Amino acid sequence: MSERSPRLSRRNFLLSVGAGGAATAAAIVAKTAPGIPAAGPETAKSESRGYQATEHVNNYYRTTKV
Amino acid sequence: MARMKFLCDAERCIECNGCVTACKNENEVPWGVNRRRVVTVNDGVVGAEKSISVACMHCSDAPCMAVCPVDCFYKTADGVVLHDKDLCIGCGYCFYACPFGAPQFPQAGAFGLRGKMDKCTFCAGGPEPDRSEAEFKKYGRNRLSEGKLPACAEMCATKALLGGDGDTIADIYRQRVTVRGKGAEVWGWGTAYGPPKGGQAATGSKS
Repeated sequence: MSERSPRLSRRNFLLSVGAGGAATAAAIVAKTAPGIPAAGPETAKSESRGYQATEHVNNYYRTTKV
Repeated sequence: MARMKFLCDAERCIECNGCVTACKNENEVPWGVNRRRVVTVNDGVVGAEKSISVACMHCSDAPCMAVCPVDCFYKTADGVVLHDKDLCIGCGYCFYACPFGAPQFPQAGAFGLRGKMDKCTFCAGGPEPDRSEAEFKKYGRNRLSEGKLPACAEMCATKALLGGDGDTIADIYRQRVTVRGKGAEVWGWGTAYGPPKGGQAATGSKS
C-alpha cells in the first residue's frame, strides 16, 4: 500500500493537469469564437458606410454649377 | 445605387495643382507617392494647351483587379475600386495594367523592392473599420463615410475636377457643354466624332 499511494497521486496530478488544460482551451475558444467574424475584413467591408447625398454633398454639386 | 466617378473639365483646368496638394494633405500621402497629378498636353502651344487632373478613375471593369495575382482589389457598392494593403505583395502588375498610371509604389529598393501599392481611394478608406486609425494610416481619410466627397474635387477652385455620383456630374458637365457650345473647340471632339465635315479646319467658333 505504501508503494501504491505515490503512483496514484502522480496519476491524479497528470489527470487534473490534462482536464484543466482542456477546460482552459475550451474557455478560450468559447470566448474568442464570436469575436472573429466581427474583426474580419469581409465584415468591415460590408459594414462600411458609403456615399450619402448629404447637405454637404448637395452644396458641392451646387457650387459646380456656377 | 450611385456610382462614384471623377470627370475633369479640360476647359476649366488651370494647372494649379490644388487637387494634388489637397490629396496629399488630406490623406498624408508619403513622400514619393502622388495619388493625383495634373497632366498637360501640347505644353506651350498657344490655344492648344490643355491640362487634366488624373488619378484612379475607378473603372467599371478595372484592369488592375483583373491582373492582381493575390486578388487584393475589391469594389464597394458605390463602384469605388479599393485594395487591401495587407494582401498586396507589391508585384507591380497593377501598375503595368492601369492605363492612367494610378498605382504608386513608395519604395525603390534593392531586388526590385517596391513596397505596398498605394492609389487614390476616392477618399473612401480601405477594408478596416470606417474612420479608424489603422484605416487612416494605410489608406488616408474616409470622407465618403463622413458624408463628404473627395478632397481634390471639393478643393478645385475652378470646379474643373468633378467628383461624385456619376449621373449627377454627367448632368453638370452636359449643362456646361450646352452653355459653352459643342464643336471642334471642345477638347477631344475630333477624337470622339472625327474631323469636321467638308474637310474644313476647326475654327473654334461655337456651333
